[in-house]
Amino acid sequence: MLEVDVEVDRPEFTVRANFSVAAGQRLALFGPSGAGKTTLLEVVAGLVKPRRAVISLAGKPLTSTTSPVIALPPWRRGVGLLRQDPGLFPHLSVRDNLRYGRTSAGDGDEFRRLASTLGIDGLLAAMPARLSGGQAHRVALGRLLLSRCDTLLLDEPYTGLDASLRRTLTELVITLVAERNVPAILVAHELAEAQAFADQLAVLDRGAVLQVGDPGEVVQRPASCRVAELVGYTAFVPADDGTVAGIHPDRIVGGSHPALGQVLEGEVTACRPAGVMFELEAAVGEETVTARMPGPASIGQPLVITATDPPIFWPGGAAIDRAAIDTAPPLELTSPETPPFEVGE
Amino acid sequence: MRSFSGWLGVLGTGVIWVALLGPVIALSTHLSWSAIKSSLSAPGAFDPLVVSAESGAITLGVLLLIGTPLAWALARGTLPFPRVWEIGVLASLLLPPLVIGLLLIFLVGPYTAIGQLLSHFNLSATNTFLALVIAQVYESAPYYVLGAQAAFASVDPALEQQAALLGDRPLRVFRRVTVPLAAPGLAMAMAIAWARAMGAFGAVVIIAYHPTGLPLQIWTSLQETGLPSALPFALVLLVVALPLPIAAYFWSARARGRRRG
Repeated sequence: MLEVDVEVDRPEFTVRANFSVAAGQRLALFGPSGAGKTTLLEVVAGLVKPRRAVISLAGKPLTSTTSPVIALPPWRRGVGLLRQDPGLFPHLSVRDNLRYGRTSAGDGDEFRRLASTLGIDGLLAAMPARLSGGQAHRVALGRLLLSRCDTLLLDEPYTGLDASLRRTLTELVITLVAERNVPAILVAHELAEAQAFADQLAVLDRGAVLQVGDPGEVVQRPASCRVAELVGYTAFVPADDGTVAGIHPDRIVGGSHPALGQVLEGEVTACRPAGVMFELEAAVGEETVTARMPGPASIGQPLVITATDPPIFWPGGAAIDRAAIDTAPPLELTSPETPPFEVGE
Repeated sequence: MRSFSGWLGVLGTGVIWVALLGPVIALSTHLSWSAIKSSLSAPGAFDPLVVSAESGAITLGVLLLIGTPLAWALARGTLPFPRVWEIGVLASLLLPPLVIGLLLIFLVGPYTAIGQLLSHFNLSATNTFLALVIAQVYESAPYYVLGAQAAFASVDPALEQQAALLGDRPLRVFRRVTVPLAAPGLAMAMAIAWARAMGAFGAVVIIAYHPTGLPLQIWTSLQETGLPSALPFALVLLVVALPLPIAAYFWSARARGRRRG
């Protein structure tokens, strides 16, 4: 179990987080660039000094700023960190890079099995400069796994790789995390990547953990307007009792279906291809709503769509439990400045 | 197929190259075997070579010992007010060697605190082998420190962090990652410092007239018996000083090539 409770000062804001990741569990830290995700990983790895922190891994304290003060150096933490840049040692061959963290690994069974699993067994004599981006990432991953680290920290490791390779590497890491039974954290600024990897998703923004939960739950039921924006809700249209409904381009069906959710009527203002779908923009009242539909539409054409089961929020604030609204008086407005969730909640 | 402007570029570069090599070409065309033979067959003719080689080797050792940590600290920016430290190194580079020699008299001369301290151990920093080494160290140190700083700065700190996360303590990281990656640049810095130390004259002529190294031998031969008897020693200086820089250059190129696979 990796337990993290930290506060780190950065020039613009303080990063605060309190979470734990069980052995074999995979947590994705998701948020925009500059939200403090990498800072959190670097604090866990012992590369950045926190203002306040209590971090432990498998019961072993790594950092404690309270008495007794503990600050294990990086080489004694047992933390494996894989960054966007694979960081292979350019003066060593692939074989020597793989064995760097555990020279005793030799060319034994584990070494050969891992090299084969990663598909790099034919590259062992090559120098890193000769590798493609995907090969270099696989070697870096292999080096991390051979070093027998007690936790895996992956900092946007697949950026710049093609979609197929990302899927392959993600599946491989999921399998290996389960085999090794170690906690793993992935930092991602692409939601699909975070969802594909994690069994727990934490949304970070400006140093604060806004929501932690099952990835599907976080996307379907964002805890606040800000979380909704970060996970892809592009518009907030007026709903009942002064509330707003979050509109996600992929959670829309054509036509009027009041039983499925909120019906929206407007006029198409733009239409462009988006993969096999078409992305329509429509003026709905004062809002511009984006919807991905199977067919194109003409500019100016009237549009009737239904946002299926949209999450409801106080404007700019926290989400509202729809069931509670039906049976209780309206909740007090939450100030947009107030964090809707306490850290780690 | 190279274009006309391409050939013009090659020609222009060639002219510059030949112009820079001019003194070496002049040396080779003005040397006669008889002059070399008579100059180098005189009793004690090789003494300056031995003095220069020994003092140069010790100078290189001193630079490695004191210059490497300074260069590393400058490259990593671990020192407070890093610009002040860098300006200090640059200042010693900008001082003319003759001025360095004059100022060394005030620093380590017989009437200074350091000079008197040395005299307690029957040592002197003027006109001795120690003085020669000191003069060579002061003349060549900035070249080594600045070269080594650039070599260390070229090593990505993220690689050192990665090595630490893989279990290496700082000294082991330095040995397994920092030094191998900086080695080509370090080798070139050492080679340049060696060439500077072997050719050191300005500071040497002021505080270390004896024992006589090769540059001073060239000077005294020129003064006493004229140009023809000085040239053979110039050839010896080239022959002794050049192999290390050339070897370092080829080794660096090979190391970089090996990394490219």
